Amino acid sequence: MKRLVVLLLVAASALPAQGPAAVAIHNARVVPVSGPVIARGTVVLRDGLIEAVGADVNIPADAWVIEGDGLTIYPGLIDALSTFGIPQPATPQANGAAAQQPAAPQITSPLATPGAVTAANPPARGPEDRPMTTSWVRAADLVKPTDRRLNSARAAGFTTAVTFPPRGIFAGQGAIVDLAGETPGQMIVADNAGEYVTLATSGGFGGGFPNSLMGTIAYVRQLYLDAEHYRIAKQFYAAHPRGTARPDYDRALEGVLDAPRVLLPATRRTDVDRMLRFADDLRLQAVLYGLPEGYRSADLLKKAGASVLVNLRWPEKGRDTDPDEPDTLQVLRVRDRAPSTPAVLAQNGVKFALYTGGLERRADLLREIKRALDEGLSPEDALRALTLSPAEIYGVADRLGSIEPGKIANLVVTKGDIFQTATEVKYVFVDGVKFEPVEEPAPANARPESAPPTPEPQGEKQ
Amino acid sequence: MKSIAFAFLFAAAALVAGDDDTFLIRGATVHPVASAEIVDGFVLVRDGKIAGVGRVFTPPKGMRVIEGKGLHVYPGMIDSGTQMGLSEIGSTRESVDTGELGKFDPQLRAEIAINPSSEHIPVTRANGITSVVSLPMSAGGGGGGRRGPAPSIIAGQAALVHLDGWTWEEMDILKSAGMSLRIPTILAPAGRGGDPDAPPALGGRYSFAEARRNYETDLRELRDFFEHARRYQKAKAANEKGFRPDLKFEAMLPVLEGKEPVVVLAARERAIRDAVQLADQQKVRVIIANPREIGKMGPELKARNIPAILGPTLELPLRDDDPYDAAYTLPDQFFKAGVKFAFGSFDNEFSRNLPYQAATAVAFGLPHEEALKAITLNAAQIWGVSDRIGSIEEGKWADLMITDGDPLEAKTQVKQLFIKGKNVDLDNKQKRLYEKYMNRP
Amino acid sequence: MKSMKPFLVACLFTASSLAAPPIVIQNATILTVTRGTLTGSILIRNGKIEEIGERITAPADAQIVDATGQFVMPGIVDCHSHIAADSINEGSVSVSAMVGIEDVLNPEDIAIYRALAGGVTTANILHGSANSIGGKCTVVKLRWGKDAHDMIFEGAMPGIKFALGENPKRAGNPSGQRIGAANVLRYPATRMGVEDVIREAFTEAKAYQQSWKDYNDKVARGEQAIAPRRDLKLEPLVEVLEGKRFVHAHCYRADEILMLLRVADEFGFKIRTLQHVLEGYKVAKEIAAHGAGASTFSDWWSYKLEAFDAIPYNAAIMTRKGIVVSLNSDSAELMRHLNDEAAKTMKYGGLSETEALSLITINPAKQLAIDNRVGSIEVGKDADLAIFDKHPLSNFAKVEKVYIDGELYFDRNKDLADRAVHEADKKKLLDKERELQRRAAPGAVRRPAA
Repeated sequence: MKRLVVLLLVAASALPAQGPAAVAIHNARVVPVSGPVIARGTVVLRDGLIEAVGADVNIPADAWVIEGDGLTIYPGLIDALSTFGIPQPATPQANGAAAQQPAAPQITSPLATPGAVTAANPPARGPEDRPMTTSWVRAADLVKPTDRRLNSARAAGFTTAVTFPPRGIFAGQGAIVDLAGETPGQMIVADNAGEYVTLATSGGFGGGFPNSLMGTIAYVRQLYLDAEHYRIAKQFYAAHPRGTARPDYDRALEGVLDAPRVLLPATRRTDVDRMLRFADDLRLQAVLYGLPEGYRSADLLKKAGASVLVNLRWPEKGRDTDPDEPDTLQVLRVRDRAPSTPAVLAQNGVKFALYTGGLERRADLLREIKRALDEGLSPEDALRALTLSPAEIYGVADRLGSIEPGKIANLVVTKGDIFQTATEVKYVFVDGVKFEPVEEPAPANARPESAPPTPEPQGEKQ
Repeated sequence: MKSIAFAFLFAAAALVAGDDDTFLIRGATVHPVASAEIVDGFVLVRDGKIAGVGRVFTPPKGMRVIEGKGLHVYPGMIDSGTQMGLSEIGSTRESVDTGELGKFDPQLRAEIAINPSSEHIPVTRANGITSVVSLPMSAGGGGGGRRGPAPSIIAGQAALVHLDGWTWEEMDILKSAGMSLRIPTILAPAGRGGDPDAPPALGGRYSFAEARRNYETDLRELRDFFEHARRYQKAKAANEKGFRPDLKFEAMLPVLEGKEPVVVLAARERAIRDAVQLADQQKVRVIIANPREIGKMGPELKARNIPAILGPTLELPLRDDDPYDAAYTLPDQFFKAGVKFAFGSFDNEFSRNLPYQAATAVAFGLPHEEALKAITLNAAQIWGVSDRIGSIEEGKWADLMITDGDPLEAKTQVKQLFIKGKNVDLDNKQKRLYEKYMNRP
Repeated sequence: MKSMKPFLVACLFTASSLAAPPIVIQNATILTVTRGTLTGSILIRNGKIEEIGERITAPADAQIVDATGQFVMPGIVDCHSHIAADSINEGSVSVSAMVGIEDVLNPEDIAIYRALAGGVTTANILHGSANSIGGKCTVVKLRWGKDAHDMIFEGAMPGIKFALGENPKRAGNPSGQRIGAANVLRYPATRMGVEDVIREAFTEAKAYQQSWKDYNDKVARGEQAIAPRRDLKLEPLVEVLEGKRFVHAHCYRADEILMLLRVADEFGFKIRTLQHVLEGYKVAKEIAAHGAGASTFSDWWSYKLEAFDAIPYNAAIMTRKGIVVSLNSDSAELMRHLNDEAAKTMKYGGLSETEALSLITINPAKQLAIDNRVGSIEVGKDADLAIFDKHPLSNFAKVEKVYIDGELYFDRNKDLADRAVHEADKKKLLDKERELQRRAAPGAVRRPAA
């Protein structure tokens, strides 16, 4: 009951269920993703988990029953790379999330404006100064149920996001976050989704190391080498403390060692090639993100057996460009072909998930997804890339991503096909709690200028 | 060692020639530019002027004769855009006087700031360049040979000078060859050609709206400046009461009267269009300087007889999508459009390479004789001094070079050089260093 | 596994060439550079030059290239270029040896194609000159259209950039040009400091080298030990000390050139090439004695104070004094006409045609130790060739075709034919995009560019 009260406070527009132990949606079309579509079936939820799913499922006596005629049940959508759940600062350049980290006040400066040189923050002289690094920061510690974007994300069908601290070369450890909860702790599905690496630079000669893309790459490489050395040195010290110099504690390396995988940015085919080689050299478990040129990188990805996160925000023409100076043919081609990336990856058997790139309005998302569908992506593959595939990539397919008994009760229930613009999202279940989404009108100041700091391949912005 | 001995011979020849500006060159292939080449021809020079050109001439007794067998005689070359004498070392601020502070400085005169002792002068003329236009450009004095941001719009008066003289007065050909004007532009976005560390973007990343506002403001200010100058002109003509002289507007009078052209630096098609509009609206004579494309402006320029000073041919294309040879073929595009043009190096360091800029244009389509004209006669015509320089014709100054081949070919050596009939020393700092260090034990 | 990679790449290349039919370039004037000039034919098979002669019987399956009246020269080698990379300078630190061009090669830089169109087939891609000791360098072939790693010149010795004089000390100069807002001075500010930075770095590198020796000794003795921390900044310097990495040093003035040679002597390594080396002519004797190559400009001068004594006779003097000299571009533009630059050395200092051509072919190949593969037209060498319509030392010459490993990478006729196609493609895409924007609902929320 406590949970309900908080939710009402948090999300005025959401109407949580009355909190029965079990919910059953029956006579609905069920799309489990992990198996064949059930034309007319029932899904039973209990205590935040899926209890049963099938055509011939008995409805428990204590269940709150929802008539599913004309409805379709999908697994809740997962935003595979996001900042959802981390409240966004009022001003884009200040990072509120980090500022609220009392344990690590010294990280605020490099996070606020990476590389900003002040008396308190002299320019980094090399990798040893750990520039623009907050690898130890955990999104799980930053997430709050008060992030206003949770409403609209749920309204768009999202129940889960893989959320990362957004700034810095080593930005920090991601968390798999359910997009509702009374406390931050209730929202966390997993607290170690991976280390989020951007290829940011300090910008300018006065800004300290690194101020070039190759400097950043060298730094990332050095940090991983340092981490490996640190691991061995700590092990050695643990075994032979007597007579051995004690290795210095290094939180930057601790953060890196904690991460089960690393997210690396890849915009062009060249970046894909570069990052795959880089990860291979360092034997990193890497997931590439961005991929507007994924459509021409499938051979590389397939060969490497890589998984990727594709940004649904397809590159667009700049809004304020010189009409006499059209973009280059290469840029035009990328803009034209980028939406074919998911289809091409699917054809080539490359595992991929989609992420919203900060888009939270359903209409915006559908427009972007439609462009991918128009390029030959099947709706089934699109759905998988927003459900089971991200769960697999992040190693949580045993609890998320499909409608199977025992998995977390994250569902989206629609009146019609989920990718149709006219389709209404009737209910969203997060951890078994029902929401009836009312899409908020976009706040006047919400976009586009104040779009949240989307995880973007920052290598190209060096 | 051979080449050193050769250099000594050179000096010896110069001694024989002396300072006497009356002599005969014979037995050489003469390229008058204004007319067909004359194999085994002569050039007669009397009192510094060309007194005759032709096939056969018997010199009067005692006349100095230069035997030109196997050699070629060309008019001295003209570089129509340099900062000669205004900038010595591009990166050393103290040695650079190319541009003042301020947006409208028509009263500034390049000529009086030309350092006749500049090391660039003997280095440049050693390759056969006998006169240059020295053009004030870019504010702040910095930049020099390197083109930097240029907030000034009217930078001052260009001078046409000979590359010989004890003082700038002695070098003078035209004190005010043209008014240097940078047509306001909408600055191009950063990216390629800008910061080499900036990889290609997937879309625009700069505020075009803001750049356009600045551009429109600049254009308006430019129109206003002309308007004020015209009112000044009327007030002065009417001898109005309370009329007070103003150096800036005074300097604009020759421009408004059509006596002095405006040298408009305009790289892109849009800037060229604005320059043409300036010519139409202000009824001034315009010369386009350092265009990097012609676009659809060929017929417009041709219809108005607006000539162009083409910048270096050896340039990268403006845009990634442009043909690789866009800059190489630009002179031929101007030629085919029927627009008269000359070449300028827009540099000091590479002024001596002027003929090779012309040669690359030939490799990519420009007829050879047109390339040669563009560094001699066309330049003289554009600057309004073709009665004095630019070709080997009777009555013109004897600005001549004697070469062992086509001056457009790098391997060709300039054997002797004459400016106003005076045999000019081809020695320079670089040759001296060469000799000194070649002989280092 | 790692050491296998270059080998694998090489195999792939050979395999792809195997499939291609042999090529015979006929009736050309062949400027071999090392074996004189002849009129005749070149047979290319498997990416290599198989036969050169006045008369060659073309194999039945050969593709015939008629080069009547044209000139074939070895593909041009540029010993100093900054194209094909996404970043050039890691200027934040005085020693940036931890960074490398290989990490940021950009095979889609249009400058690659443009350089090909100027006859260049191989280039040494260098880090910039902002640091006394700069980043690592990579030799590439301009295999336009291939991925980054397929451009790397297989087996070529890697390099590292050093820089002396005005550029590395600029960041230490209070009135110097700096990018970025921070008013932070960076050591060094003088040529004295530049020497110090290099000596400090190599002192550190020697200690690092020793720490690994000590570790390996311990392990050999069966003692327990932790390996030293790998230091990416010092590793390349140890490689320099061990002769496994070439030093390419940007320098201008005679004093600093001599300084570097003496520092190298002190620490027991060699300077492979002096880059720019505009006052090399003043200390040619010392350069020759050290055995360094010199890679210079034809006629650049006066753009900065340390270039004021530069002379266009530099290449000729250094050649005459026994130095292996090359002309480099340092510029995506100049790179497109290095043949014109070479021609200037005939005017300034009287080099012969072959000497002039050597400056942009066999000599830079020697400097990069790839002269067993490229730099001249010889049987067994890579079929890296540039075909000009006139003698390449004529300023009226232009490139018609360029081959790398026997593969045609530039063809002027094709370039001309493709222009209309590209224009049409572009127009189609622009129209399509406009249509897409028109159809987008007027109320649709627009957003900034990705």
